[in-house]
Amino acid sequence: MTKRLAGNVPKALSAPVSQGYSIDARKLTTRLLNASIKSGVSKGRHITILNPDARHNLAVGIVKRCSLSFAGSVGYYCCAFCDGISATIEGNSGWGLGDNLMSGSIVIRQDAGASVGASMRGGQILVWGNAGARAGISMKGGTLVIAGNSGFLTGFMMQRGRIIVMGGVGDAAGDSMYEGIVYVGGEIGSLGVDAKTESATRSEEVELRAFLKALKFRDDILPRRFKKIVSAKRLYQYDSLEPLERERLVI
Amino acid sequence: MIVSDEVSRREGWTNEVFQDLQVKAELGRYRIRGFSTFQRIAHFDDIIFIPRYISGKGVELRPADVSTETVLGTRYAKNAISISTPVYITGMSYGALSRSAKTALAKGAAKVGTATCTGDGGMLTEERKYSTTMIYQVNASRYGVTPQDMISGDAVEVVVGQGAKPATGGLLMGQKVSAIIAKKRELPPGIDQRSPTRHPDWLGPDDLGIFIEMLREVTDWRVPVQVKIPACRVKDDVKLAAKAGADGIVIDGMQAGTGASSEVVLDHSGIPTLPGIVLAREALEELGLLKKVYLVASGGIRNGIDAAKAIALGADAVAIGQAAIIALNCNRELPGITDFVREVGVPAGYCTKCHTGKCPVGITTQDPRLEKRLAIDEAAVRVASLLSSMTLEMKLITCALGKRNVHDLTVDDLSALNVEASMMAKVPMVGSGGTLLKSAGKGK
Ligand code: SF4
Repeated sequence: MTKRLAGNVPKALSAPVSQGYSIDARKLTTRLLNASIKSGVSKGRHITILNPDARHNLAVGIVKRCSLSFAGSVGYYCCAFCDGISATIEGNSGWGLGDNLMSGSIVIRQDAGASVGASMRGGQILVWGNAGARAGISMKGGTLVIAGNSGFLTGFMMQRGRIIVMGGVGDAAGDSMYEGIVYVGGEIGSLGVDAKTESATRSEEVELRAFLKALKFRDDILPRRFKKIVSAKRLYQYDSLEPLERERLVI
Repeated sequence: MIVSDEVSRREGWTNEVFQDLQVKAELGRYRIRGFSTFQRIAHFDDIIFIPRYISGKGVELRPADVSTETVLGTRYAKNAISISTPVYITGMSYGALSRSAKTALAKGAAKVGTATCTGDGGMLTEERKYSTTMIYQVNASRYGVTPQDMISGDAVEVVVGQGAKPATGGLLMGQKVSAIIAKKRELPPGIDQRSPTRHPDWLGPDDLGIFIEMLREVTDWRVPVQVKIPACRVKDDVKLAAKAGADGIVIDGMQAGTGASSEVVLDHSGIPTLPGIVLAREALEELGLLKKVYLVASGGIRNGIDAAKAIALGADAVAIGQAAIIALNCNRELPGITDFVREVGVPAGYCTKCHTGKCPVGITTQDPRLEKRLAIDEAAVRVASLLSSMTLEMKLITCALGKRNVHDLTVDDLSALNVEASMMAKVPMVGSGGTLLKSAGKGK
C-alpha cells in the first residue's frame, strides 16, 4: 500500500446551487433516497447524504448539473450513469464508482474499489487514495486521477481519455487498449497484451504538472517523471479478409 | 465424370473440408464469417403440433378469434411492455447494420405494434423516434451508451452474450468501422474492433444483482430489465439471472445469427435453441418463477410456426434477427442493381459476407453507395408484412389446436419427429407415446 497522500482536496466543481440541505440515508430505502436526491437536485440544491453506510447504487442516473456530497463510504456503482454531477465522497467506495460518467466531477477522499470510472465517457474522477483492479476499464473519455496505487488490469481495453496514476500500477496494465494514455508515476507491475511504454514528452510533463497542481497536488509529492502506457497497436488489424474475399470485393 | 468408390466415400473429408484447410493454410488464422451456424442440428422442423379431433372440444375457431397480445415484465417494473404479437426484433448493432436497415426495422416493427432492440453500438435517434417499444441494450462493450438513451427506453436488456458466438465479444471488421461508426463507438476508424466478453463492472451473479438494481434506479423502476443469455449452461445461468432480479430472460440458442464471428464458436459452441428453451423453462419452474419472470426465445426462428413452437415449449415471446434481415432483402438479387457473384463472389441465396461490409443490398454495410440500395420505407413495409405473416401463422396453428390464445399453447400440443428432437425438446416421439426421458411431456 502506498502512504495516503496528504493534499488539499479540491471542492467539487460548483454547479448553480442555492442553499443546501442534508438527507439521512439510514431513514430511507435506496429507492426513496435516490428519489429524494433526484428531486432535490432538480431544484438546484446541494445535498449532503449522511450515513451512506456503504449502500449500493446511490445517486445513479442523474442527468443534470448538480452538487452532492456523501459523508461516509459508498457501495457499488455510486454516481453511475450520471451526466453533469459534482460529487464528493468522504470515505471509500465499492466497485464501479462513476461508471459511464458522461460529464462532471467526482472526488473520493479515500480508496475506490474495482472498476472505478468503468467505461466513463467524459468528466473527471479524482481518487485521493488507491484504486482496485480494472480502474478505467473500457474508458472512452475524460480523466481519471489516482493519487495512490492502482490495481490489476488498469486501463483494460481503454478506448480514449487518460488515466494518471501517481503511484504504481499492478499487472497487465493497459491490456488490449485501443487508444488513450495511462501515465504512471511509480512502478508498473507488468504490461498487458499489446501495451507498450513510452516516456512522456517535455510538453506532456509540463501540462501534466500544471493539471495536477490545479487539483491542489503539492509539488513535493508529484512524481519526478511519468511513464506512459499506450497501445502498441498490433491488435488493430488481423487481416480480416480472406484471399478470395479480397479478390472478389471489387466495388 | 466417373467418381471412384474411394473418392465418393469420404465422410468427414468433403470438398468443403479440403477447401477450408486450403484457405487456412494460406490464412494462418481462424476463419470469420457472418449469418449463423450451418450445422445440422435438431431444430423446430423436427417437432410438430398434434391437433385434437373427436377427443377435443370441437369448437370451430377462426384465426381472427385468436389473441396474440403479449405483456412482458410484470415482476418489478411499473410499466410492463405490451406488444400486439409475441414476435419482436432482436438487438442488432448500428455498425453491423446500416442506419437505413436499423431505421427500416424500427418503422416496420412499429407498424404492427411490436418491439425493437438497439444493439452493441448505441441507439440511433431514428430508432427511438420510430419505435413504439424500444428495448435498450447494455452490452459488455458499452459502445455509445448514455444514461439519457437508456432512460428513453421502454425496457433495458443486459447482454451476457450471444447464442451465435457464446463467450466471445462482438466483432466489427475494419471495413465497417467507418468514421461515423468509429465516432459513435469512440474507436480509431478502420480498426478491427473486438468487443470485450465480460462486462467492465460486474463479474458474478452477486454483482449482477446489484447491477440490475442500479439499472432500475437509473430508470426509476419504470421499465423491465431483461437479461440475454447465450444457451450454454442454461439451468445455472437462468437461475442465477432470475435470482439476481431480472424481470425477463432471453435465451439465445446456437442457431442465432451474427454479423461476424469466428467459425469455431459459430459452429462448435453453445447448445441449440430447442433444449435452450426447455432448460430455461425448467429452471424457472424449479425456482417457482415461471410466468413471473418472462422468457424470450431467440436463435434461428424463421416463421410463425417456429415462434408458436417456441411458445408451446415455454417461451412468452420470441425475438427474430436473421428473419427480419431477410425481409429487408438479404440474399435477394435486385435486377439492374446488384450482382452478387461479382460483388461478393457467391450467388444470391448463398451469401454470408456480412462481416466484409460489402453487403450488396445495403443492410450490413457502412458504405453509403451500397446503403442507398435499401429503400427504407419499402423495407419497413416488408418487415411489417413478415411480422404480420408470422403472427397470422401463429394464430392459424393456435386455432387448429382449438385454442383462443397463442399463449395457451403448451408442450402437450407437441410431438417430435425423431429421437434426437424428442430428447432435446422433451416431447414424446410421434407414435411412441413417450420419450426416453422421464420428465417429458410436463406442461407449462
Ligand atoms: S446479403 Fe447482406 S445481409 Fe445478407 S448475408 Fe449477404 S452481406 Fe449479409
